[in-house]
Amino acid sequence: MKSMKKVVGPEYNLSEKIKTNVYAVGVAMQESVYPHTMTVFYPRERKKMPDNYRGFILFDPDKCISCFNCSFVCPANAIRMKEAPNKRYYPTVDYGRCIFCHFCIDSCSGGALKATKIHDVAYKDMDEMFTPTEEMIELPEIIREDKKYVEYEIEEDDLHLKRTKGEDYLFVEVPPPIQIPMVSQCIDRANCIGCRVCEEMCESGAISSSVENGMLRMKIDTDKCTGCGLCVKECSMQILMLKKLERK
Amino acid sequence: MMEMIDTLMETVMSNQVSIPLIEPMLDVLPEIPMLQYMVAFMLWKPLFAILICPGLTVGGLTLLFFPWIERKLCGRAQWRVGPHEIVWWLGGVIQLLADTLRFLFQEVIVHKDAHRPYFLQFPFLSFTIFLLPLLFIPAGTIVAIQTPYAIQIILALVCLFPLFILGLGWASNSRFAYIGTVREAFMYFAYEIPFIIAAIAMIILYGTSDPLLMASRQSIPGIILNPVAALVFFIGAAMATGRMPFEIADSDQELCAGPHVEYSGIAFGLIYVLCYEKAYILSALMTILFLGGGSGPVIAGLGDLSGVLWFVVKTYLVLTTLFMLRAVYPRYRLDQGLKLGWSPMLCLALIGLAISLVVVAVRVI
Ligand code: SF4
Ligand code: SF4
Repeated sequence: MKSMKKVVGPEYNLSEKIKTNVYAVGVAMQESVYPHTMTVFYPRERKKMPDNYRGFILFDPDKCISCFNCSFVCPANAIRMKEAPNKRYYPTVDYGRCIFCHFCIDSCSGGALKATKIHDVAYKDMDEMFTPTEEMIELPEIIREDKKYVEYEIEEDDLHLKRTKGEDYLFVEVPPPIQIPMVSQCIDRANCIGCRVCEEMCESGAISSSVENGMLRMKIDTDKCTGCGLCVKECSMQILMLKKLERK
Repeated sequence: MMEMIDTLMETVMSNQVSIPLIEPMLDVLPEIPMLQYMVAFMLWKPLFAILICPGLTVGGLTLLFFPWIERKLCGRAQWRVGPHEIVWWLGGVIQLLADTLRFLFQEVIVHKDAHRPYFLQFPFLSFTIFLLPLLFIPAGTIVAIQTPYAIQIILALVCLFPLFILGLGWASNSRFAYIGTVREAFMYFAYEIPFIIAAIAMIILYGTSDPLLMASRQSIPGIILNPVAALVFFIGAAMATGRMPFEIADSDQELCAGPHVEYSGIAFGLIYVLCYEKAYILSALMTILFLGGGSGPVIAGLGDLSGVLWFVVKTYLVLTTLFMLRAVYPRYRLDQGLKLGWSPMLCLALIGLAISLVVVAVRVI
């Protein structure tokens, strides 16, 4: 049988031991006089978060096309679509489930969801963590006590704190997503069973049906279609597809 | 009656702490009736030693501020801040005062398996016992009880300390406390012998065990005459006070707090400062044995207080060094600690003893 290899610690001789000990004590003394303290005195000062920090999610209902992308993509099942008084569906986020992956923001086709650097929101209980759409439009109330913000800097393999007076801006200004205009198209007309799910689904009323010669005929109005893809997802025969809009 | 008071006052007046700086103030005092006696008593050397230095005042201040200094220094060395929020513009300096207040108002919980009478009396008993060595420690020329066997008595009292810790652990009657107590007992044997041998080496070197004489015989401080004994004594002191590399008995990570795990409220508060009390006494002892006690350049105008000042400065220096170990070294395992105590330390202590004998022999020849 092959014997197991024994792991042994490094061996030091006496002079090396003395050297390392003296070095350690020296560093401790140096640091206790001129410390490189890393502590951030929150809330008197805040750490400056990077621009791609994933924090609280803001929502702009005007840009939302109710495509359900966010709720489909959410790996934690935190987003539920709720019907608003204007009969459209808007997302709500349950922060008790959210893992702050921001997939929803990345997948938002209308650019309606926006990331912020806010990470210090307090809730009294789990139920309160369920955030309805109305509360996502406005920022949560924050009491800003910070007079400085702190950045970590790496200098010659050493970490330093850099303090700057002033408040850190908590929003992330991202350019609006480059939208490739898409339209829904039927790729296999022969297989349409005329269930009219797509017509019911469409938020913008782009799909209409008419009866011609006793046959049901579906029509997609390219001008009205927002390219949200809802009909594509719901089509029972899977014959709808999003295609790049080619304007003539 | 009057005669008695007169003889008493004579004894008191014959042994006063002389401080030239406040003499003009003292000259005014006889006009105020009672104050004169009170000040005379305060400045009576034995009482001054008990009440002010090295006794209650300096000792109390040490207990009040050294835990803070330790935490602050270690925090800085480890890129943290240490105590901060209480009076944050002073760096949290009154942290221990605040802790003490909190301890005072906390309930002392005695769990149902504990040996109730012992459990309650040991913290208070050990706190007082730990103060006893201060009676024999001189600050400069000021000492409460002067005997030619002071060092031996101090060592004997210091050796009593672990017994009380064992008592604490036994009275707690809990498994963590038991394990901590057994570890304490193991470590006790490991450090005590080299520690005592190192002290004996210095007694042999100076040919006396009277601290005042020792100070006067250290024209060259003991740490240069016998650095090996000094090293052993220092490591022994670190082991005895359970400072970081030897925090084996009350290892927070596995045993919560070892022997003290069951204590709460002011009883815990007292135990918490016990190790600082011990560290203070051992640093004072180290100052006497190796750093020349209160000897140092006389500061004009302070008279006897100059010795006191030097003594306090040296003691605090040793104390700070002892506490800084915490920032640098991780903890030894019990077997490593025992190995260190029983082999290298014992050998070094014996070498220290041999050095002392050689120095004495050279002197005689
Ligand atoms: S951040 Fe991720 S987990 Fe949270 S709601 Fe968006 S998709 Fe769901
Ligand atoms: S992905 Fe964006 S546009 Fe689509 S429903 Fe969600 S928030 Fe609205």
